[in-house]
Amino acid sequence: MIEIVPSGTHIDFIGHRRIAFAISGVLLLAGLAAIFFQGLRLGIDFAGGTEVAVRFDAGTKVDEGVLRSLAGACSILDPTVVRYGETDAPEFLIRFNRTAEVPAGGDDCPLTDEQRESLAAVDQATGANSASSKTPSIVDRLTMAMRNQIGALDILSVEYVGPRVGDELRRDGLSALGIAIVLILIYIAFRFSSRFAPGAVIALIHDVLITAGVFAIFRLEFDLSVLAALLAILGYSLNDTIIVYDRIRENMSLRTKYDLEDVMNRSVNQTLSRTLLTSLTTLAAVICLLLVGGEVIFPFALAMAIGIVVGTYSSIFIASPAVLYLERRFGDGAGSAATKKRSAA
Amino acid sequence: MSGLGWRLSGALACVGLFAFLTIANFVPQEKRLESPLLPDGGLRLGLDLQGGIHWVLGVDLEAAIDQELGFMAENLREVAEEKAFTVSGTRVEDGALVVETDGGADAEHVASWAKDAGLRSVGSDGGVLRYELTAAATKAVKQRGMAQVLEVLRRRIADPIQGIPDSVVTGQGEDRILVQIPGGQIDRTRARKLLEVTGHLEFKIVRDSAPSEELLRAKYPDGLPAGTGIATERDKETDRVLTAYLLPDQADITGEYLKDARVGFDRQQRPIVDFQFNTEGGRIFSKLTSENIGAQLAIVLDQRVYSAPSIRSRIASRGQIEGRFTAQEAADLAVVLRSGSLPIPVQIEEERTVGPALGADSIARGLRASALGLVVILVFVVGYYRMSGGYASLALLANLVLLMGVMSMFDATLTLPGIAGIVLTVGMAVDANVIIFERIREELRAGKSPRAAIATGFNKAFWTIMDANITTLITALVLFEYGTGPIKGFAVTLSIGVVTSVFAALVFTRLMFEVYPGTRSVPSLSI
Repeated sequence: MIEIVPSGTHIDFIGHRRIAFAISGVLLLAGLAAIFFQGLRLGIDFAGGTEVAVRFDAGTKVDEGVLRSLAGACSILDPTVVRYGETDAPEFLIRFNRTAEVPAGGDDCPLTDEQRESLAAVDQATGANSASSKTPSIVDRLTMAMRNQIGALDILSVEYVGPRVGDELRRDGLSALGIAIVLILIYIAFRFSSRFAPGAVIALIHDVLITAGVFAIFRLEFDLSVLAALLAILGYSLNDTIIVYDRIRENMSLRTKYDLEDVMNRSVNQTLSRTLLTSLTTLAAVICLLLVGGEVIFPFALAMAIGIVVGTYSSIFIASPAVLYLERRFGDGAGSAATKKRSAA
Repeated sequence: MSGLGWRLSGALACVGLFAFLTIANFVPQEKRLESPLLPDGGLRLGLDLQGGIHWVLGVDLEAAIDQELGFMAENLREVAEEKAFTVSGTRVEDGALVVETDGGADAEHVASWAKDAGLRSVGSDGGVLRYELTAAATKAVKQRGMAQVLEVLRRRIADPIQGIPDSVVTGQGEDRILVQIPGGQIDRTRARKLLEVTGHLEFKIVRDSAPSEELLRAKYPDGLPAGTGIATERDKETDRVLTAYLLPDQADITGEYLKDARVGFDRQQRPIVDFQFNTEGGRIFSKLTSENIGAQLAIVLDQRVYSAPSIRSRIASRGQIEGRFTAQEAADLAVVLRSGSLPIPVQIEEERTVGPALGADSIARGLRASALGLVVILVFVVGYYRMSGGYASLALLANLVLLMGVMSMFDATLTLPGIAGIVLTVGMAVDANVIIFERIREELRAGKSPRAAIATGFNKAFWTIMDANITTLITALVLFEYGTGPIKGFAVTLSIGVVTSVFAALVFTRLMFEVYPGTRSVPSLSI
């Protein structure tokens, strides 16, 4: 029998809770500071804007600078151009949020008159007049210009999120997080008595904030799929916490006299192997996704991976001590160091 | 057959059925429709996997309100003429109709008209009266506007000659339309020409013209005559203004009366669009042309003058639009004219277009990640739990079959985040088994017999597994409610996966333990 945690292991997790609290505190503060002062680097889902991914034919001579100046010539303001992919067919991601008014005499965009005319006709026919409504046609201008000046290319993807949609996605995303937290709180309170619910929610918020904080600190792009990952973490990181709480409850009902700190320590140790194993298997799957899933799914997999690690840590080091702390601070004294006779059970 | 035998065959039949549903997806659609055995529907690939155009069009319903108020204003003028009262001016601003009168009896007439028309007064200042549509009328106008736009777009997509097969146009919320065009059938520029353009064709008799807008304006130092505006004809090659025309705001006849529009060719074999009016349109058109012989008739499409030929004789019901069209452009324009103009402008508010190359790439990568994840986990579980791990592996595979089968049954859409959800499910499905097995190990260590340990393990783990998965299900459902497009696909696979994995662990794994060791009293358990 292989065991990752030898039976009879007894580590004083609860006794070292101050160290855990300190580590979490630092992580949380750093994350929150990064979120507030530096801000999350919002992807176009939330910030609005346009993102075009193109792949040129193999061997095409082109670099970021060329594309940036070409985009500039086509009345695109502050384009971000990133090269990605490892093949010899160069792939680029061009992103922008604002476009300039095309001057009356036309800009320097390398288009044929026929192309200009055709695009202008569509613009007029669609009633596009504001700068934001012109964005969809800017993509056509840009791809035509790239084909004219640089060479054949495939459009891999075009994403455009208008200002109204961006605002909505941001608002809906935040409310989805809020609603999920409230629903889980209700479920926990319903299943576990109000003693445990606050501890679980502290652990949850801890996990989500630290994961978001890591994205803020490292300036990783925060898009819709990362938000989806945060929600999944919300549900998943609770799994391990529930395993521990279930065991605490079970151990409490085994005897009439107990010391809460001791019961918690025993419970965390008893469930340690399954806490680690369940996380490891899920983490293994997510890491596969991270390594071979490709660029599109990378941010999601990264957020999931961070969330699983933080969630496992918090189930062991934070969830139970948080309950203990709350009990000692606000509780009826059941958690005090002195043993107490339990009326129920 | 014993009770166990029945349950075992039930489980196998269940897996078999879902395996059948899963495998049926690989049979081409046409063959499935022909075969009486195979299901017609099945798993669909999201646009992010098969490639395609995904648009959310915003419908400018405020414009519909303004249009409605404009009609009301026209009606007011007619009524005023009929009942002989004076309205000095009407205008529509900020969703309200403003009527200017000299006050007194005129204002009273207007007020009584408004009452009959069901308008809501939102203030009056002397002779200036402001009206808005009632909430009910606003809602009705908006709904009608949406319905009209949807219908026009559907006609354009379903056009038998130039339509886009398999595309979907659906209303979303109160003022949005979701357009999904699968595959790389058409490029987005063409799609915009087909769907986004208003297609408002007007015929107007030219009042005056000049080589440029400035020169034309210079002819009217006191401002343009009431009820007219300037439209320009541009050179097809240089986009330079050729002629500026002074045209009436009100069209003499519009594309509304068209019966048909087709691609034709002029004498130089350049593509043109031939159109034909219906009977009523033909009557109006021949009257218009016979009364204006010698004048120029401007053909205006979406505010742009395409040509302004001189009327030489009465024209009955046919005409043509010349432009420097390519054959494709002419064909697309014909579709737009055939299916009618959009009564309200639409605008792309969100776009997620994926080229076929990236879609195929995503499928390949998603499959690779799933396969790798599956192998890693199977190896780990069998290595760690031996025979029991083998049970867990079988349950995991059965879980995947159930997941795919349920998705096929509901004709669910598989997206890239959906594949991520499946990989995640593979990782999480083992959790339930780990919880059970660890508990069984614990009971064995406490000195219980394998049989007793298995029973206790399953019983004690039950609620822990339920609790752990219900919270995940809650978040998955919230995500389903709030997510859009691909993200919704993640919520779908995650929620179905959570349910099937609990089922697989609690039913299938347990059943395998009942087969062996079952009721036998074995000295030890490979776990």
